Amino acid sequence: MGLGAIVVIGAESEGFCPAALQGAGSLVPQPVACTDILGRSMVERAIERFARADVEAVTVLVAAENRMFGIPVAPGLDHVDVTVRRVPDIFSAINQTLNEYSDRGIVHAFVASANLYAETDLLDLFYFHREARQAATQCLNGESPLDLWVVHCEKALQTGLDRLLTGPERSGASYMTRDYVISLNRPADLRRLVFDALSGRCALRPSGREIKPGVWVDEKADIHRGARIVAPAYIGRGSKVQQDTLITRCSNIERDCCIDCGTVIEDSSILPNTTVGIWLDVCHAVASGNKLLSLGHEVVVEISDPSVLRSTAETKNGWELKPALYAEQKIDAGIQQKQPSAPEAWQLGANLIQG
Amino acid sequence: MQTRGPVIVMELPENLNHAEGKAFLAEVQPLLQGHRPRVVLDGSQVQHMDSAGIEMLLQCMEEAMKRDGDLKLGALSPAAAAILELMRVDRLFEVYESADEAVHSFHAVASIDEPQTLPWYSVPCGLADLKSAS
Repeated sequence: MGLGAIVVIGAESEGFCPAALQGAGSLVPQPVACTDILGRSMVERAIERFARADVEAVTVLVAAENRMFGIPVAPGLDHVDVTVRRVPDIFSAINQTLNEYSDRGIVHAFVASANLYAETDLLDLFYFHREARQAATQCLNGESPLDLWVVHCEKALQTGLDRLLTGPERSGASYMTRDYVISLNRPADLRRLVFDALSGRCALRPSGREIKPGVWVDEKADIHRGARIVAPAYIGRGSKVQQDTLITRCSNIERDCCIDCGTVIEDSSILPNTTVGIWLDVCHAVASGNKLLSLGHEVVVEISDPSVLRSTAETKNGWELKPALYAEQKIDAGIQQKQPSAPEAWQLGANLIQG
Repeated sequence: MQTRGPVIVMELPENLNHAEGKAFLAEVQPLLQGHRPRVVLDGSQVQHMDSAGIEMLLQCMEEAMKRDGDLKLGALSPAAAAILELMRVDRLFEVYESADEAVHSFHAVASIDEPQTLPWYSVPCGLADLKSAS
């Protein structure tokens, strides 16, 4: 009895499995699930999660409105057939995928939003669904329904998928989970996930190494000796933290960022390819490129002065392009395989925070 | 002063002003001269703290950082916590509920040798394992 999985990245900030955060649609050019959080994207983590649950095939469906997206897959998942499709209509695409799964002999499939991080035991969920003998089983966290289902491919197609997944009178079974669950719907959810991960409240681990208690540093990060990193914190791959900076209170600096001299990053997330200028105080915010989201005011501000905040990514037609991770992926172009990285010498030099 | 393994715990004085701060600094400075000094300051007794006291804390932190060490605060009294917060200095330090917690945090690295790249769900347990187990 085979198992498949469908990971959905929807269109907008509302609707079925939305791609953007509510009220912060313009913050990142690609879907939030494709943005690195603590070194790896949500969709990448989801693919691995399903792969480890022994699914035969994972299909990532991306709504066609998302012009730019990158879905790297970690090495070591050769046993899983991973396909990425950019589709005009999500429900038709799910139907089509379930049909294909059915033809391949896959009887059941997980359907999940890429924005969902759930530490639910997927096998337990699957066995529950199989025992319930329903067309679909939805995962619930308390009273809240989550964007995670297991469906019987043939039965779901007969019943009508949109009614099963979004209809008010859900005819399937419900599976209660008490495990850690978070869905990235609002900007504050992103910060909560980072906070929970860095403070050990969930099992998500940042990539890279914990060089001293609570301080995670990824490959090729360059931290000046005079910078202060107060745990817990995360510095991403290839990021540069300059002299007299302070990174504190569960802040995360994602890959290829630069935090310039004297700047304080407090309780904030700096998303990939962002340069923060000198002597700034970024507090309770999310920054991406030249945009800053204030979590207190829930507003996105675009900064036109590049000496304050700017994107370090190469741009093409206004969209962020990073050849290593964000090649322009066309429909059904397949996925990029991350090259297994050879062990690199840490570029921390004689940094004082090195454990 | 108590010494717990390689971490030194010192109790801050009740009045952390210029005079007391200077005396405390003279006491703590030799301990900050070694390689990678790891110091916890217990702030449970602090009732008054002025800018000179804060400057002393920053000086200690700087000394520790220069030598690849660190300085953490534990068991801060409400008065000390309020003053540090007011001056926005609290964000420079790791602050713990108790001195013991602060000491423990120096040793809390999960595994320094193994890269932490595997996610939580990478435990090799899947359908195949369950099938073979049954």
